[in-house]
Amino acid sequence: MPDLDAIKTEVRRLLADGVVEVVVAFKPGDTPLHPQPAFFHSPEEVDSLVHNGLCQNNLATFLTHLPKTKKVGMVVRGCENRSVNALIVEKQKSRENLYLLGVPCEGIIDWRKIVEHVGEAVLAVHENSDEVTVETREGQFNLSRNELLHASCLRCAHRNPISADILIGEPLPEGDPNLARVAVEEFESLTNEERYAWFQKEAERCIRCYACREACPMCYCTECFVDHIEPRWTESGATPAGMQGWHIVRAFHQTGRCTDCGACERACPMDIKMTYLTEKLNNDMRKKYAFEVGLDIQTQPPFATVTLDDKNRFSV
Amino acid sequence: MSQKPKIAFFQCQWCLYSPADQNWVDTQLPSNIHLTKTPCTGRINPLYVLNAVQGGADGVMISGCMPEQCHFKTGNMAARRQLEEFNDFLNHIGYEKERVRFVWLDLQDRGIIQKQLAQFEQDLEVLGPAKNLITRTKIAEGGLNA
Repeated sequence: MPDLDAIKTEVRRLLADGVVEVVVAFKPGDTPLHPQPAFFHSPEEVDSLVHNGLCQNNLATFLTHLPKTKKVGMVVRGCENRSVNALIVEKQKSRENLYLLGVPCEGIIDWRKIVEHVGEAVLAVHENSDEVTVETREGQFNLSRNELLHASCLRCAHRNPISADILIGEPLPEGDPNLARVAVEEFESLTNEERYAWFQKEAERCIRCYACREACPMCYCTECFVDHIEPRWTESGATPAGMQGWHIVRAFHQTGRCTDCGACERACPMDIKMTYLTEKLNNDMRKKYAFEVGLDIQTQPPFATVTLDDKNRFSV
Repeated sequence: MSQKPKIAFFQCQWCLYSPADQNWVDTQLPSNIHLTKTPCTGRINPLYVLNAVQGGADGVMISGCMPEQCHFKTGNMAARRQLEEFNDFLNHIGYEKERVRFVWLDLQDRGIIQKQLAQFEQDLEVLGPAKNLITRTKIAEGGLNA
C-alpha cells in the first residue's frame, strides 16, 4: 500500500517551496467509504490528506476546472496519469505547469460491494494488499480485496503512473493487457438481439443526471451535445431515444480518449454498466491503429489525424 | 415487405462527378430515399447517422470520394475513420452492420450510384424492416423536443 506519510511530506514540501499553487488529492468524506476530492492550498491543510483504495474519483477531471496557467500538483494513480497525458495531448494543460506525484495503484475498491457484504453502517475501513477489514456496529469483517475491486481495475493493464515527476512507493507488476480484449470478445460473442437487449436494459435505467459526464476527465466540452438546443441533436428527456442516444454518443466521443478508469460507472447512481461500450472502442483503436491512450504526450488520437496509409486500410 | 425500405442517403456534394448522375440524384430519387447533401463526407457527424437510425430508417447509405480525391484533401479519410468505427459500434450494441453502407466513388465512375442504391434496397428488402434502436418519440408527442 502507498505510504501516506511519504505522500503528505512531499505535498507539504511542494506547497511550502512554492513549486505548485494547489495540490489536488483526497480528504476524508462523510463516511469512511467515500473519501472526496480536495484542493490543498497550504502545508497546514495537508494533515487531512488521505489516499486509499476507496478513492473513487479520477482526479484528472479537475485539471480542466482550474486555470491553464496555474501550477497544479496532483496525486495520480496509473489511470489518472494517462488521463492527464491525454488532456495534455489535447492542449488542455501544459506539462510545465504540472507536478505529478505518482502512486502505484492496487485497484479501486467498489464501495457498493462492501455495502452488499456488510450493510451501510460502516465505522472504519482498513486495507492491505490482500485483505480489507471493515468495522461496523455488528462487528468486524475481513473481506478479500480482489473480490471487492471495481470491474475496470480487475482488467487494468497500467497500474503504475508512467510519467510522474516522483514515484511514491515501489512499482507494481503490470497487469495483463489481454484481459480487456477478453471482456469485449465475450460480449461480442452474443447475438445481435442479445446485445441489443443488454444495451436496452442498461440504458433504460438512465435518469439523465450526467454524473458520468461530470466524473469523466475527458468530458470537458463547454457545451455538451445534449445541452445544445438549436439545432437539437438528440432528445434531452428521459425518453428511450434520449437515453440510448446519450449512451451511444457519450461513449463514441471517448473513442481513442478513454483510459478505462471506470469513473463513469462508479459515479452512476443507477449502477449502469458503461465500460462495455468504451472498452469496445478502445479495443478497436488498439487493433486498427495500435493506439493506446495516454502513453505519451505527443501522439494524437486516431480520429484527430489521418495518414496516407489510410487508403489501404479500408475494405470498400 | 409491403412497403419499400426507407433509406437515409448522405451524399458528399463533390462525389458525383458526372452532371447526369448528380441530376438524377437531385431530381429523380425514389420517394423512399431521403437525400441529405453535405459539403464533404467529413461533415457527416455520427449523430446524423444515429438520428436517421433512431428516426426509423431501414438503412443508411453514405457516398463519398475515393481516398486522395477529396475536394478538401483529407475529409473523406477522417470520415472513413469515424463512420466505419461508428458502424462497428452500432453493431456492438445490436444494430445490423449491413444496414449502414458506404460507397466510395471514383472520378471516372458513371452510373454507379443508381446501381448501388438499387442493390442496397434489394438487400434491405431481404433483411426486412429495422427493429433495433428505433426509439424516436413520435412527432405528435414532441419528436426531438421530447
